[in-house]
Amino acid sequence: MRTILLGPQRFMTTAGTALRSLGVDGAVATINAGWEEREDAVEELDTVLGGDTRHLRLYHRMFDVIDKDEHFASAAMTFRDSHDALLSLYRLRLHNALDGVYAVQRRSREAQERGRDDHGAFGALDDAVETVRHVDAWYAAQLKVLYAELDERAPLDDSGVIGWHRGEIAAMLADCAALVMPGGHVGSLLRALRLFAVRVPAQLPVVAWSAGAMALTERVVLFHDHGPEGAREAEVFDRGLGRVEGVVALPHARRRLRLDDRDRCAVLARRFGEQHCVLLDDGTALELAPDGSLPAGARILGLDGAIHELEAAHA
Amino acid sequence: MTERRLAVNRLRDRLPVPPASIDRFLARHGSPIIEGERATFVFRGEADEVRVRHRVVGLADPMPMRRLPGTDLWAVTIDLPTGSRVEYQLETRRGEHYETFNDPLNPRLAHSPMGSSSVCAAEGYEVPDWVHHDPEARPGELVEDVLRSKALRREQPVRLYLPARYSPALRYPLLVVHDGTDYLEYAAMKTVLDNLVHRLDVAPVVVAFVPPRDRLKEYPNHAPHARFVARELLPTLAERLSLVDHPEGRCLMGSSFGGVASLSTAVRYPGVFGSLLLQSASLVFTDIGKDHGGGPAFDPVVKFVNRYRAKPSRPVERIFMSCGTYEPLITPNRSMVPVFRAAGMTVKYVEARDGHNWEDWRDRLRDGLSWIFPGPQKFVYE
Repeated sequence: MRTILLGPQRFMTTAGTALRSLGVDGAVATINAGWEEREDAVEELDTVLGGDTRHLRLYHRMFDVIDKDEHFASAAMTFRDSHDALLSLYRLRLHNALDGVYAVQRRSREAQERGRDDHGAFGALDDAVETVRHVDAWYAAQLKVLYAELDERAPLDDSGVIGWHRGEIAAMLADCAALVMPGGHVGSLLRALRLFAVRVPAQLPVVAWSAGAMALTERVVLFHDHGPEGAREAEVFDRGLGRVEGVVALPHARRRLRLDDRDRCAVLARRFGEQHCVLLDDGTALELAPDGSLPAGARILGLDGAIHELEAAHA
Repeated sequence: MTERRLAVNRLRDRLPVPPASIDRFLARHGSPIIEGERATFVFRGEADEVRVRHRVVGLADPMPMRRLPGTDLWAVTIDLPTGSRVEYQLETRRGEHYETFNDPLNPRLAHSPMGSSSVCAAEGYEVPDWVHHDPEARPGELVEDVLRSKALRREQPVRLYLPARYSPALRYPLLVVHDGTDYLEYAAMKTVLDNLVHRLDVAPVVVAFVPPRDRLKEYPNHAPHARFVARELLPTLAERLSLVDHPEGRCLMGSSFGGVASLSTAVRYPGVFGSLLLQSASLVFTDIGKDHGGGPAFDPVVKFVNRYRAKPSRPVERIFMSCGTYEPLITPNRSMVPVFRAAGMTVKYVEARDGHNWEDWRDRLRDGLSWIFPGPQKFVYE
């Protein structure tokens, strides 16, 4: 299994080089549903990838399904409403839980600075982070329930139009020698991947960046420390394809995260402690090892909130 | 470290000077002259008195200018903290004749339903770039509509903003804007919405811009107005458009008396709206006695706010409030923040070194709208 995760491609285009390094012989499939209504504006992408591309057009297919399958469209709308309501509650709980973490962290830091370590001794910070992890887990479990309800209301396998698209997508993928997944709106990308039950064969080489890289992981975490006023805490959004294991992908980390705020970064790293929070900035190119592990040199957020390069033994 | 003397004082030191020197001085500096945290207003002309008129709390109004000896140049210098923005006019007295007008040496103007004013912008103040037309921002659509209102017993015009790429396959939050026509006219709100949606700062949102007919009657806690908004406008729009069917997706917004209209409507219909966006809301109250200083127009406001303060309720979950630190309403607004919080609402409160005017409200739109309806930036990783 060959997988390459890249940094953003807007200012430093490395996708063509990465693709060539895989030595693929044949057409390249692309999934750029994250570009939404700009999905067909692929001239530049075609040039970078060498021209022999097969665009799966999942975003357009998704709207074709909504147009033609009223039953599914109605069920999907209900799902979106429920998901929005769940997200709203999740964010409410998350903000309160994280406020608790930051408060404990501030007090612990102040105690340390005064030469007292009693606050750290109580394990308050770890326990507060555990509360956040619990909220994340609660959200993921509730989302799973919502998906189950959606599947029950409008079984995807029963839809003729979805089945037709799925067949065509699978056939196109089977004819290609590699898959490229660019960035864009990760929510739209994940929805399209789920709707068409896209399975990326293990033997198919994949190059992905930004939202595409996030979609390959097991758990997609949204983040933007400089985002709009009301939405600045990192939040779990959904499951990804799971091809890349043990990784939380953080594209544009330098632009989107306050990396100089060690305390805040430490909370992020601790919160997803069982996975590596991997920084995917401009120029990054990480080819995963055959066993799926990260290569040495991958930049990750450490539990201390600093950026570390992964050493070979830990990769 | 020696501080450089003010330009007007350097001119004063050179007096007497020929008129041509003053011409050159004005051509070079214009008015007001901003030097660090000082602003010097200047006027040239014959008059018995010249004064700066403004509504900045803490500064004398009117603020007399002094004639530079032997010249027809008048000047006054004030402290002006970084980032400030002040609207003003000049007033001359010639005998018994008074005249008020915009500063002829200052091309910078602000507009409002009351007319225009000159603008004094301190160092550090910049018009936000999202206020200007961005050719890359796909424009939303403004649709004229008229609703027959039983509550108001009239035809009520409404201008609807539909975001670019509006699709009935998606659901949109709804923002109801009091003084809607003025927000469009004087706060560039259509352009602001186009830009903020384009930049992913604000979620694509449907906006109902509602103008009043008799503002002083309809806005301070008026039952027919509240009924129109909650029981007529809302259901009609929900029927016609694809809107989020949850209080969290509904926000009432207004400035000054429009802020009171927003709060009082929410109080009359608790749980219908999820949030309020209040800009310089006229939340005047009294702690004792009845002398609120606002004149008869404020009587129903004070009655409403006093009653609310006596028994605060939680009509919405979240309130965004902004207020200018130079306006008289700063104290009531600051005072209401803890009251709203104690009632259990989440309050985001923002102050700016500005006054009670449309450009202040325009400049705070990104803070407010992105907090109320955050855009999808967090979802987009190009």
